[in-house]
Amino acid sequence: MKKKLLTILFLCAGAIAWMQVNSCKKNDTKAGPTPVTFTTPPGFPVPQYSFTNNPLTQEGISLGRRLFYDGQLSKDGNFPCSSCHQQFAAFATFDHDLSHGFNNQFTTRNSPGIFNLAWHTELHWDGGINHIEVQPLAPITASNEMAEDIGTVINKLKADNKYPAQFKAAFGTEEVNSQRMLKALAQFMVTMVSANSKYDKVRNGQASFTNTEQSGYTIFQNKCAACHKEPLLTDLSYRNNGMDLHPFLLDNGRMRITNKKEDSLKFKVPSLRNVLLTFPYMHDGRFYSIDQVLNHYATGIISSPTLDPLLTNKIVLTTTERTQLKAFLTTLTDSVFIADKRFAQPQ
Amino acid sequence: MKTDNTFSMKKLLKLHLPALLLMLVLFNSCAKEYSGSGWATPKEDYNLVINFTPVVDTLKLSFDSTYKNYFDEPYKVAAFKFYICQFDLINTDSNRVYNVNKDKYFLIDAADSTTWTVKLSAVPFRYNRISFTIGVDSVRNVSGAQTGALDPAKGMFWTWNSGYIMAKLEGTSPVSNQPNGKFEYHIGGFKGVENAIRKPLLLFPFGLYSEIKPNTKSIISVNANVNAWFYNPHDLKIEENPVVTTPGILARSVSENYSKMFTVTAVKNE
Repeated sequence: MKKKLLTILFLCAGAIAWMQVNSCKKNDTKAGPTPVTFTTPPGFPVPQYSFTNNPLTQEGISLGRRLFYDGQLSKDGNFPCSSCHQQFAAFATFDHDLSHGFNNQFTTRNSPGIFNLAWHTELHWDGGINHIEVQPLAPITASNEMAEDIGTVINKLKADNKYPAQFKAAFGTEEVNSQRMLKALAQFMVTMVSANSKYDKVRNGQASFTNTEQSGYTIFQNKCAACHKEPLLTDLSYRNNGMDLHPFLLDNGRMRITNKKEDSLKFKVPSLRNVLLTFPYMHDGRFYSIDQVLNHYATGIISSPTLDPLLTNKIVLTTTERTQLKAFLTTLTDSVFIADKRFAQPQ
Repeated sequence: MKTDNTFSMKKLLKLHLPALLLMLVLFNSCAKEYSGSGWATPKEDYNLVINFTPVVDTLKLSFDSTYKNYFDEPYKVAAFKFYICQFDLINTDSNRVYNVNKDKYFLIDAADSTTWTVKLSAVPFRYNRISFTIGVDSVRNVSGAQTGALDPAKGMFWTWNSGYIMAKLEGTSPVSNQPNGKFEYHIGGFKGVENAIRKPLLLFPFGLYSEIKPNTKSIISVNANVNAWFYNPHDLKIEENPVVTTPGILARSVSENYSKMFTVTAVKNE
């Protein structure tokens, strides 16, 4: 008798617990946004971005995408992130050494392409930004870029007729705050992965280089890959590549952040992915063509105490080698990425 | 060989106890999740209050008055704010140190008296020292977007060289060579020799204790003295250095000065 009673008791407890667990699950799936899994392309290292603190969701990414293309993030409405980061230029500014900002001003550096940022721990040419989530604060508040105040941006988003609902879909409540805005932007930006170039297809055994491209790849591996490390095509380090101090911009690069003499004139090594789309080149956009860049490495390097040791002997190529290397560089263009509708301006 | 008949209450319990416990755990974890997502009433009791008063030496700070620093430089204050976090309560008789409210950050703003009161919950005990960090610990400087007191919209974040401004003092002085006689000290930096995170230890006035019992509160009054910024151990003359707005050795020196700006003036137990 006692045994029966106990069994019933246990059954009841079990049922209650099961129901509870189940209702819990239901609530979670019903209320929460739709999770998105980040896919690391084959051969890529482990991403540096910590997704556990900002789990990717469809709603979060979609909110970030809208913010990226929204002029309200700038003072006069004319300068969304996308004004300097254009998809057809792999999210650099097409054909501009320096970009345009608020009130007819130039920016002070060349706008870098936005892709594969999930693998970067520091951002900007000088590495001054230590986390992708706080990066947008720099262009938003810079007086020669978007020239806006963070509090004002948040107030504009709160007053918008769609944003509060989008924030709710992404983060559970209608609260609009800077942390949520920045996390949504980060979600969008880390999903901008470029890994579909011919170079990638060759790496994955889905295509093969022409003879010229293959020779160019060998030259690249011997003479460029120490800094432009595969597969990201940057080792993410800061180096002085032998350019003199710009007489007007007076940009010392990394030294501005570290206050260390030994970092003078060092800038972050840019990725060579999509290199044909991201001209002009270098931190101040002083070179408009690949040929000018190769001329620099052959004859233009200026010696200084912080010059990268790998460049003390310059990089001299024969005319044939140059043609081959340039043929290889064309294989780095990711035409899938620049046409990917997920990254385009939302309708 | 055992049959059903050999089953007793005891054995049954033995067998099913783990299952029952598991159920309870499941049940419980679920309940926890709910309160975590914010619909259980938060039980945010406090029993320790720190009341900050911005002062210049012995006078309560007013943005309209002109003061003089150690070097007789006249100045007016336009902004005075600082972050505090990581509170330690100490009893020197028993050498016990209690870290309270580890993840709470407060921005004390002289212009907004509602920010001058900090409420904490401490283990009931008798304390005769308090210590807290001035600034934002290095982890929060490198962990991406923050909110609450650490919201970058509060204007205490460097956007071009990621990191928090730990403390800010702005004003005007006739000895400044800057436009409109401005002087501006935005002090921060958390890396290596530039580290401007300070954690002073504050003594209580002689014979006073913070005595917290299960149903009582303790109120500690602390003065924050602007004039401490300019002097000891480093001389900071407005005439020589009207602007310090980047991390570096100078900023660290200023932080070493202002780490001595606090004085406990009273402790009340009620």
